Parts: sequence; C-alpha cells; structure tokens
Amino acid sequence: MWTPRFCLKWGPQLKQLRAAVASTQLRAISARIVNDSFIVVQPESEGSAGSESLTYPGVWLRDNCSCSECFHASSQSRRLDWDNFDASVRPQHLHTDADTQEIHVRWSDSHVSSYSLQWLRERSFKDQRQRNYLDDFYRPRTHHWRGADFEHVAQRFDYGDVMHDDRALRDWLQALAVYGVALIGGAPIDKGVVRQLAERVGFIRRTTYGEEFIVQAKPGAKNFAYLSDPLPLHTDLPYYEYKPSVNILHCMVQTESRGGSNLLVDAFHIADRLRAEHPEDFERLKETPVDWNDIGSEDGREFHNIWRSPVICLDGDGRYTRINHSVPQRDSHFNVPLDQVLPWYESYARFVRMARADAHSFKTQPGDVLTFNNIRLLHGRTGYDDTEENSRYIVGAYLDWDIIYSRLRVLKKKLPPA
Amino acid sequence: MFQSLCRKTQVLCTRRVREQWVRSFMVELQPVEQIVLVREKQDHNGPTMQFPGIWLRDNCLCDACFHRNSLSRLPHGWNNFDTKVKVQDLSVNVEQETLHINWSDAHRSEYPLEWLRERDFSSANRQRYLSHSYRPESQHWSGDQFQNILQKFEYRDLVSRDDTLAEWLRTLAIYGVALIKNSPLDIGVVKTLCNRVGFIRRTTYGEEFSVKSQPGAKNYSYLAEPLPLHTDMPYFEYKPSLTILHTLEQSVSQGGWNLLADAFYVADLLREKHPEEFEVLSRTRVDWADIGMDNGVSFHNIWRAPVINLDADGNYARINHSVPQRDSHFSIPVQRVQPWYEANALFVRLAQEQAVSFKTTPGDVLTFNNLRMVHGRTGYDDTELNVRHIVGGFVDWDIAYSRLRVLQKQQQQQQQQRLRQQQQLQGQKQVESKLLSQVQ
Repeated sequence: MWTPRFCLKWGPQLKQLRAAVASTQLRAISARIVNDSFIVVQPESEGSAGSESLTYPGVWLRDNCSCSECFHASSQSRRLDWDNFDASVRPQHLHTDADTQEIHVRWSDSHVSSYSLQWLRERSFKDQRQRNYLDDFYRPRTHHWRGADFEHVAQRFDYGDVMHDDRALRDWLQALAVYGVALIGGAPIDKGVVRQLAERVGFIRRTTYGEEFIVQAKPGAKNFAYLSDPLPLHTDLPYYEYKPSVNILHCMVQTESRGGSNLLVDAFHIADRLRAEHPEDFERLKETPVDWNDIGSEDGREFHNIWRSPVICLDGDGRYTRINHSVPQRDSHFNVPLDQVLPWYESYARFVRMARADAHSFKTQPGDVLTFNNIRLLHGRTGYDDTEENSRYIVGAYLDWDIIYSRLRVLKKKLPPA
Repeated sequence: MFQSLCRKTQVLCTRRVREQWVRSFMVELQPVEQIVLVREKQDHNGPTMQFPGIWLRDNCLCDACFHRNSLSRLPHGWNNFDTKVKVQDLSVNVEQETLHINWSDAHRSEYPLEWLRERDFSSANRQRYLSHSYRPESQHWSGDQFQNILQKFEYRDLVSRDDTLAEWLRTLAIYGVALIKNSPLDIGVVKTLCNRVGFIRRTTYGEEFSVKSQPGAKNYSYLAEPLPLHTDMPYFEYKPSLTILHTLEQSVSQGGWNLLADAFYVADLLREKHPEEFEVLSRTRVDWADIGMDNGVSFHNIWRAPVINLDADGNYARINHSVPQRDSHFSIPVQRVQPWYEANALFVRLAQEQAVSFKTTPGDVLTFNNLRMVHGRTGYDDTELNVRHIVGGFVDWDIAYSRLRVLQKQQQQQQQQRLRQQQQLQGQKQVESKLLSQVQ
C-alpha cells in the first residue's frame, strides 16, 4: 500500500522526525504533532525567509488528502467519502522527506497521506498569507475614490490590446476590480464590439431585457433609460437578487448637442463618508430594506421584478457587497414600519445629495467603451437632443463578477506577475 | 386616534347611497408626525390605514412626478428632494374614490383609494404583500413528509396552461421540489420549460448540460460513481437557483436513484437541537471552488460563503454543500477549523437521515430549488444498450418569481372579471324576474 521513500522506522513514540539533508542544495524539513491533532511543519532554509513553522489542523489535512482514492485529479476535486467522514480522525505518525520536500502522515483511520511543502505553503493558515490570497487572488481589494480623483484612477486601455494581449485583458479586469471603472478606446464602430469584449472574458449576462441592449432615445419608451431626458445617478437593475455586475457601454454615436455626458460616482466612497461623518444615516441605509422593482414587458413578455434590499449592503465582515440606488426603480410599496419611513428618507436624501456633489462628468467619444462595476458605481447622463443626422447610440451589455474573477484568476496563474 | 381633533385636520366624506347619506371614508392628518390616516368604514373601530406624508409626496402619481409608460417614478424630483415637505390640506373625491393633497411645495397630488389600500403600512398588510406578492413563504419538510408534499404536474398542462405553470412555480417556492411527468423524450424539453418561465441561466458549463457517464470527465458529476448529497455550483456568488433535470434514459442497473433532502429542514434541526453547530455553520466562511475547463475555456471559480446563509431577518437565504467543490484552501483562523469540521460532519449526517430516494423514469423532469435542496444519486452501471442520460438546465429565482407574480396578477384579474360578470348576470336575472312577476 504505502512505502516510505526513506527507510525509517515507525513507532508510536516517533512524534518528531527530521530527515537527513541529502545534499547541501536540499533543505531539511521536519514536522511534529501538537495536541494530538495539529501538525506543525518546520521548513529549514539557509536564510530566515521561508523558515517559519506552519501549523495545520489534522482534520483538514485528512480531508484534503490528494491520493487518487481521496482526490479526483482530472476534475481537481475531492472524492473522499464524506458520508462516513470521521471529524475526530487524528494523525498518528509523521515522516518527512527532504528529497521530495514532502511530509507523509499515517492517520488513525489507517489511511496514509502525502503533502508537498509547496502545496502546504500555498494553503498556510497564517493570517498574512490568507489575507494576501484573499486580497489578491480571490477578489482584489478595492480602492475607493473621490470624483475629483477620477482622471487618476480611470485607466485607459486599447481595444486591440484587450482583444489580443492577455496582459492587457488582465490589467483591464484588475482595474475594474480595484477601481470599479476603466475605459477602452479605439473600438470599431460596430454593433458586435460589446459581445466580443464580453466573450473575451466569458459570456454576456442575460436579463429581462435580453443580452445586448441599445440605449437610444425612443419617445414613449417602456423603460426610462430609453428617453433622451437627463438620467440622474443610479445603479442598473437593483430589482434583481442577482444584479448584473459590470456594465459595458459602447459609444457608437455621440450626441453633438451639449448634453449626453456620462456621470459617474464611486458609491463605496460615498458610503465611507457616510460611515465616518453621518453614522446614523449610514446605519439606516444599511439596515432598512427597500423594495426595488420593474414592471413592464419586453418582446411581448410581461415581467414583474422585485427585490428587497438596503441601499448599502454589507457582508459579515462589514465590507460593502452592493449599492442599490435608482429613483425610477424604487417601488411605491415600502415594506417597513411607519416610524422608519421619514428617518430613512432623510438619510437617503443625504446619500443622493452627497453622490450628486461628488459625481464626475465626461463625454465618451465614438469608439469608446465605458466599463464599470454596477454593484458599486452610480452612473447617469445629462439630457441631450437628437437631430435627424445625429442620434446618440450606445450599445450595452453586462458581465457577472463570478465570470470576470474566474478569468482574472486564470490569467494571473498563467502570466508572470504584472 | 380620530377623537383628538384639536391637533388634527379631519375630512369626512359622504356619498349618497339608496336615499341615505352615509359616511364612506374619512381622511385625517397627524400634523406633527405628518401621517395621513384613511378609514373606509363608518364604524369608528374599523381598520385605519396609515401613510407617511413624505412617502405620499415621493409617490405622487401626476405626470410631472410619475412616468406612466414605464410605471416608474420620474427621477428629477430627487435632484433636490425636500424631506421637510408638509401636507397643507387634504380632501377626498367621493365619486372618484380619491385622496387629494396640497403640499407645502405648492404641488398637488391625487391617490386612488384602491392604490392606497394595496400599500397600507399596517403590519398585517405588509406581511400579506410580502408572502403573497413578493415571495411565497417556504415550508420545510422532513424526509418522512416527502410523499405528502411532492406534487406532480403533467408536462402537457405545464406548457399549455398558465394556471398549471403558476401552481408549479408556487410549489417550487414553497416546498422546493416538484416532479413533472410524461414529457417527450426530446432533448429540447429542458429549454422549453426554461423558456416557459423566462430563460435558461447560462453558467461556465454552458446552457443545457448532459449528465452522462464520461470516463475521465473534468467534472465529478459526469462519472457513474455515486454522487453524495450536494448543491450545484456553490462556487458562484450568483448560484443557479432552480435545477431542472430531464430523464431521457434511466439506468436499468440497480443504481441511478435520486437522493434529495430539504437542507432548510436540516438547518431547522441544527438550530433547534445543536445551536452551537448551527452558529459555526452559519458564521464560518468556506471557500467553494471549481477549477477546470469547458469547451476549451479555462475557469477558476471561487466563492466564500458559509454552509448555512442567513438574511438580515435570520431566514435562510442559501445552503452551500459539496464535497468535491469545497476548496482545499480554507481561509479561516486555524483554531476554528476543527469545530467547523465537526459541525459539518453533523450537518452531512442529518442530511443523510432526512434524504429520500426515488428513481425517475424516462419522461420525468425533476425540478428543485438548488439554493435549498441537497441532491445526489446512487452509483450505476451503464451497458452498451443502456446509457443513463439526463439533460439539465437552470433558471434563476429572479426570473421565476417575476413570472409567478405576473401569472398571479392575471389570475386575480380574471377572478375579478368573473365576479363582475356573475354580478351583472345576477342583476339581469333580478330585473327579469321582477319584470316577469309584474307581467304575471
């Protein structure tokens, strides 16, 4: 079944092992069992870097045994029989191998597992390592910005580079993740651009309104965005539990009139300010569920979307997960106790005022693709006038963060670091 | 409330009914709180509807404030929305059944009584709205109750009748599972069903997927081995909501049984009997992952979330469980690992105890809530003549609830129409019989 690569004797008393250094190039590695359940691995290197001891819970190591009985290599997934998993399993014997830089463990259920030092290092439970993994590989840490800083944070990419160079693709997605906004210039004036970009990442997120959508003034439109009136700051589709993540807006024809400017504001920054300067307002906006809705029909099909959620949404760690804001898509149904209504309106009005005051305005040109995080940024546009020869024409689509982060991780593994 | 008139403005409205003057509804303002009270009955103890002034101003239905075509609030008012706006006076139009308000910002608004009734801020009305119009309340079931709660629908009815469609979606919302019988043995069935609701949810694995044993598959479920209880795709923040599994060919071997358990019920058990484990499973974030390739495109999906996910009210939002899709990365402090393993092992044991097993037959479509149910299957053996073949697809709750709301509204309107027709018919009959008696 299992044969140690080094001829070492096993014994219950043998709780700490140290493999012989086979050559000067090889580093020693030792390991011991602590409290009958943890395994502490001690790599030894010439310098001090990388020689910190690493502590692993035994039960986690057993769960992540990578032998073919416990792990299915081609699907990269666990196949261990959890229907009979014993959470009180204990490491009984350890054996380290300096040659292969591995540790071998025999368990109380008589199973034997091997782990490489490299694999262990990548999964160290050290706080700093975990934080780096989460803030870089899992989901890059966000930087929040003031409207006045827009020109510094909004990076510009070239359409051709993004389509053909994986590094440009990675950098675009990284910028989107960190700052929530990025511009792509030099795109052809072609209706297919939005789809090509989306498919470069993964695939378009479909909504009630289809896949690509066209923003063009349509008198009598069923959706408010399809009018040439000014469109105050909002997030798209707050009435979805699964709100589309990233907005891709390709400018094909821009208005020659004075209007049609884009407005953008980082609502995470507004939330930061509320949290610091107006904690009561912050509290109300994160606690009060609001009914967001959209009632209408598209392609002859009726819909009635509702999602109840606060304006500022936080996760268990107090980090922002989502901002909801849309005057037109806020339902007249408001399912909160009567006495919460007026205070909420006061806080919400402050949020809207602060966002308006901080909004940055700029005007995209034909061939520009504006991409931004719809979970985080508020966007809008000033009103404009179409003429017969000049009719503003924007093609849009959405991408989901699930798909974007996946692509970004694949690229980060594949490419040398930026 | 209606008695203290000294600090309130009160308007009584009356209308002429059968030669008598009868109070039809009353409106009143609490000026300090800026709350408008509306009562419909003459009876002083009748239910009072309450509306905050600021909310009424925000929801003014005039053409300057509301865009009728898109049924949505015009946003410009919010460029300088004044939260200090006050009601100046109230009145009612008896014939139209409308409330009229003059505001301190010189605006004038009008609200139909019917519209107000639907939006009353009373706790009872809000509860009615949330469980009727928003999302039906779920009912959790133990393995023993499965036969009682399992509802079966005929495929033919589902694709042709809106009332069956609504009933199927309601069943899925409440119980999390429903079985569709007698569908054609056609690869397009899953898509047809998804389109009947709205549209299919695409994932990294495409739209429809085929569950067929493929030696050396990149995904664990594409093997003939037993597939222990799990939820699909816990590694997505936007996890697919409803799973639709169409049996085209079932294994004639001993295996291929479906396993299903209501993990909301399992969570209830934990909450009640093992509160510590419940706490651990609802607070510890687990790394769920899927690393691989489909159609030549590599992916690396990760989502960090507990096994039991609660919303702000403590209701279950989602269950995550999958042995193969749980990452070897576990980004929590080292001392919290062992307690989590013990709690998770208990969860798995309880889920197994509550799991039911049944074997679908060709033409069956098993549909269930993937945010709530854990499902699995026993191992099976294919032969050259018998290759188990299931086609699957997903639909999101956003889309499914939207369809259900539209259908419920249609049904309500149809009912009202029928009622009106009946009343008309009765009225006609009364007139006829009166005429008849006069003639006789």
